[in-house]
Amino acid sequence: MNKLFSLLAACGLATSAHAADLTVYTYDSFVSEWGPGPQLEAAFEESCQCDVKFIAVDDGVSILNRLRIEKDKTKADVLLGLDDSLTEVTRRESLVQPHGITLDGLKPELQWQDQDFIPYDYGFFSFVYNTNKVKQPVTSLKALIDSGASIIYQDPRTSTPGQGLMLWVKSVYGDDSANAWKQLASHTVTVTKGWWEAYSMFLEGDADYVLSYNTSPAYHAVTEEKQQYRAAAFSEGHVAQIEVAAISKYAKNPKLAKQFLSFLISPQAQSIIPTTNWMLPVIDNIELPEAFDELIQPKRIGFTPKQIAKQRKSWIREWRSTAN
Amino acid sequence: MALYCQLMRLYLLAYAAIFSLTILSFYGLINFGDEGLDTALLQDSYFYAILGFTLKQALLSALLSVGIAIPIARSLYFLPTLRFKKMFLTFCLLCFVTPTLIVITGLVALLGRSGFLTPSLNSVLNNFTDSTWNLYGFSGILIAHVFMNMPLAVRIIYLQLQTIPDNSWKLASQLKLSRRQCFSIVEWAVLKNSSILLFCFIFVLCFNSFAVVLALGGGPQSTTLEVAIYQALKYDFNIPEALTLAWTQLIVAGGLYWLITRGGGVSWQSIESSQYNWRPNLNVNTRFWFTSLYGFSWLILLLPYLSLLPGLFDSELSSKDLKAIGRSALISIGLAATSASLAMALAFALLRPIRQAALKAHSKRVWLYESLATHSLVAPAMVLSVGLFVYLLPRIDLDRWGIIFVVLLNTALVIPFAVQKLKPRLLQFDQQYDRLACSLKLTQHARWKIEWPFIKEIYLATMGLVLVLAMGDVAIFSIFGTTDWTTLPWLIYGYASSYRITEASAASFLLLMLCAFFLFFLEKLSAHKVARKRLIDHSQPYKGETHA
Repeated sequence: MNKLFSLLAACGLATSAHAADLTVYTYDSFVSEWGPGPQLEAAFEESCQCDVKFIAVDDGVSILNRLRIEKDKTKADVLLGLDDSLTEVTRRESLVQPHGITLDGLKPELQWQDQDFIPYDYGFFSFVYNTNKVKQPVTSLKALIDSGASIIYQDPRTSTPGQGLMLWVKSVYGDDSANAWKQLASHTVTVTKGWWEAYSMFLEGDADYVLSYNTSPAYHAVTEEKQQYRAAAFSEGHVAQIEVAAISKYAKNPKLAKQFLSFLISPQAQSIIPTTNWMLPVIDNIELPEAFDELIQPKRIGFTPKQIAKQRKSWIREWRSTAN
Repeated sequence: MALYCQLMRLYLLAYAAIFSLTILSFYGLINFGDEGLDTALLQDSYFYAILGFTLKQALLSALLSVGIAIPIARSLYFLPTLRFKKMFLTFCLLCFVTPTLIVITGLVALLGRSGFLTPSLNSVLNNFTDSTWNLYGFSGILIAHVFMNMPLAVRIIYLQLQTIPDNSWKLASQLKLSRRQCFSIVEWAVLKNSSILLFCFIFVLCFNSFAVVLALGGGPQSTTLEVAIYQALKYDFNIPEALTLAWTQLIVAGGLYWLITRGGGVSWQSIESSQYNWRPNLNVNTRFWFTSLYGFSWLILLLPYLSLLPGLFDSELSSKDLKAIGRSALISIGLAATSASLAMALAFALLRPIRQAALKAHSKRVWLYESLATHSLVAPAMVLSVGLFVYLLPRIDLDRWGIIFVVLLNTALVIPFAVQKLKPRLLQFDQQYDRLACSLKLTQHARWKIEWPFIKEIYLATMGLVLVLAMGDVAIFSIFGTTDWTTLPWLIYGYASSYRITEASAASFLLLMLCAFFLFFLEKLSAHKVARKRLIDHSQPYKGETHA
């Protein structure tokens, strides 16, 4: 047993680097080989002449949970991968500090004013379909819910797209949401735990529509050269997911952290992110593959992070008691 | 005496080790939350709805698994000359340990909306009703649970049937018992205990089911306690609610399991397959039915795996992907082998007091120790891992040492399987040789030299089982794992969550192949031993005769 421990210890020491100049907490797929992490790391390290280390956890919510547990003992200088529905909670638990970066360069449609969080990419929740299967796609959320089309979506309790649909239904239907959920349930194939379970079932042909992002078709077009996947544009507007980064309250190197955040919204980083994380850039004039021009560009609707933080629990309660 | 004390301390240490893991996890959560339990939850109808659903699906899954397994096991038993029987039995084990994510993909490819079987199922259904086939929902959960657990039940019931002494059948034929009487008097007598135990075991596994329920459940109406704990812990960080649910799960699942197994009367008896060969004669009709049932079982169990193949041929892997897949496959094997070795060693130590109590016929004590040793079977896995994480994170650099806890927690979770499988053989050894060994005043070393050949076969097979179980883990890795140590199942999730479905299916296939390899390989290794042992066994009666 002791031998085993020392062996494992040796391996652990060999693979973990020494304390880096900048430690960034993020989620797994961001730092995977095909994600934006490796390229961003190389580009930033070159400009700052410093050592950046990514620590990846399961997903955005896990970053927040980890900070809640660690509190002032955290190693994080930068948190990268929370989204706009989590900003309010994170702020309330005072886990971040103001970034002090001017927000003028950001796309005006984002209307971003937050002094603690910097957006680095975004996308609109959308229902994706296969044009070989669905010839006449629906044009509004109401039409979709009233239709008999088979649908797969994600559980709002465990997945951000699922939560996005909950906000979407709430902002289109308001007090009438309970009926909408009931109606939707009658032609829902299944509700999955996470995004990919739903999406792979859809690719297997298990549903007409799947809840995903308006950017999903770009992936199929760019990487697989498949043109048949499209996102349906809904006349009521779409709810957006904005992914954000912030400086940890307990950052050991807040200056470098600020520099990293500024880098994230620089043209260099912004041209890496869209084709690796498959989301939209937050600044204008970024050169992107043609497939991005063909994406739908919906009107944005939804709630403020404050409203979400306040109402989320009761909305989830409503969903779970009616979406049967 | 000094040596004895020292050894005794080792066993206590093993109990202390597995308990400290559980206690630390609960302590971690209770201490961090500092708010106690959420008793308001007990007045919420939602709570009773999920409790009811969890119980319902677990009961039905367990009932169906055992109910379907009995006729299949009987056909294996009554037709000793069936082809590929040994392979079928190993394949049964593979179904049980196949990582759930592969089972789910296979079932969707087979029975989902565009599944291979769905058109024919629909045309059959159309003859009776207007409704079309739908995998998702209660039916999907049951199908997946039965697919994973029924084969295990077949295996155990078959082995159990083999313990029917030749004399029982001879007596039955002399008494001219009818087939039904044969079943209720001869067969059920040996099956009763193990069927009840199997039922409990499968019930607990399905009670704690998580991935299957989320993937195939079809909506919030299919929420199990484990799912609710996950949600409470992860998305709401609501520790009081998670703890309330966890205690409920522990009390209900554990309570049922312990109540039924209490008294030590129920156990999986040991296997001496080579001893009895006598089978009653079957008429042509029955023979035909049993053979068909056997063929049909092969088909049903193979289909979900076969339906994975077409997706595989689409994939074109880059050398980078191949390298990543190869690397994480090696890591998976290394981690699983470490967990499995630890679990086997610990299980051996944990079984020591159980064996001593069994020798003295203290059945209550056997039950008590066994419940303690296998408690992680009923403890919510989510609470164990998250609780330990909460406890350790401020104290230890988990980014560096996390992988050790991946190994330790996986060890803790597979220990119950190791204990259950090793126990009968060790008890059998004690029964046959303990007195002799004591009277000969054998040293520990000499004793071990007799014991090891006796248990080696089961030991290796069990090792294969727990190794494969540990290899399929994602839940623990998702909490303690680091990117430097990406395992194969985690890589599959990584691929799948970045649109790379074909790479994911290729990696899944490799994972499945690895599972199959370890099961078949270790089974083969032990089968070799059995063959040799049988030769020796057969030669003994002749010797006896000449002496006589």
